[in-house]
Amino acid sequence: MAQEERDQVVAEITCHEVAQWASAYLEEHVGDERKRQIAVHLAMCAGCETYVKQIATVRDMIRQLSQVEDVPSNMGRLRQAFVDRLNRP
Amino acid sequence: MNVDASPLTKSARYRNSADRTAVSCQLPTEGKSDNVLLARLRQGDEGAFAELVTHHHSALIRMAMGHVANREVAEEVVQETWMAVITGLDRFEGRSSLRTWIFGILIHKAKDRGVREKRHVTFSSFEGASDEVGDPSRFHQSGKWVGHWALPPQPWDDQTPEKILASQQAVNAINRAIESLPGTLKNVLILRDVEGVEAKEACEILKITETNLYVRLHRARERVRQAVEVYLAGQQPAL
Ligand SMILES: [Zn+2]
Repeated sequence: MAQEERDQVVAEITCHEVAQWASAYLEEHVGDERKRQIAVHLAMCAGCETYVKQIATVRDMIRQLSQVEDVPSNMGRLRQAFVDRLNRP
Repeated sequence: MNVDASPLTKSARYRNSADRTAVSCQLPTEGKSDNVLLARLRQGDEGAFAELVTHHHSALIRMAMGHVANREVAEEVVQETWMAVITGLDRFEGRSSLRTWIFGILIHKAKDRGVREKRHVTFSSFEGASDEVGDPSRFHQSGKWVGHWALPPQPWDDQTPEKILASQQAVNAINRAIESLPGTLKNVLILRDVEGVEAKEACEILKITETNLYVRLHRARERVRQAVEVYLAGQQPAL
């Protein structure tokens, strides 16, 4: 592709816009035309490709980090309240 | 009485890299399984209740923290939420999922408590904040390449989520970034990326549009991305 043509395609949507749409794009919450613009832009713009990849990495890390199980300090009281529920008149 | 308290014998912890292969229990909380769980709860199945609490507690605490002053108050709000769940079980009509209902109660209580603590000023001022993702100076402000990267992000190379999370320092940086998010962004991040709630259900819980959801989700992820970027830059050997 000629440089000029290439510039035009990349300019169809700015990097700033691609960055702002990154999460919606990753979650497939963009219209067909916008999706095409972003896909074409990503194919030619290393900066945006890197950015979108990083957002996906962040999403995956948060998911992995969240594998936390936490128990309330007053679980005993909660269980008691739960048991008492059935014993109410 | 169900005496199996196994989920409760585990203490709360962030799993470290050594045992991250273990996946947390996937509690069926949606659709038909919701009915099964609800039936067990209504019958007074303590094990079912303990599982429910264990499964959602940490997300509820983190969400509450986005609205109130400290962990202590957040614990109180979550405690009140569970009490409301217990007393409301018989009245719950199942028009939403159990999870939507529980998180809805939490958000209502946390916001209410936050307003009473007069923290709402912070949030309303945030609502008016600009739409900028990250640092606008990273993009050309004028000229032919306006809106295009002036300072493109540096690739994280072969940094997979697993490799980054193997560092406790990175884990801490990410957790700090999440903790410091304003409530409106934190709610979305916790529901979508932590709890894995579908977009539609998350919108229902938060009473926002899907477009709004993605805007907030992205701002939240961007803040975490910046924290990781800073962490990784600090890991680079000095040139
Ligand atoms: Zn770009």
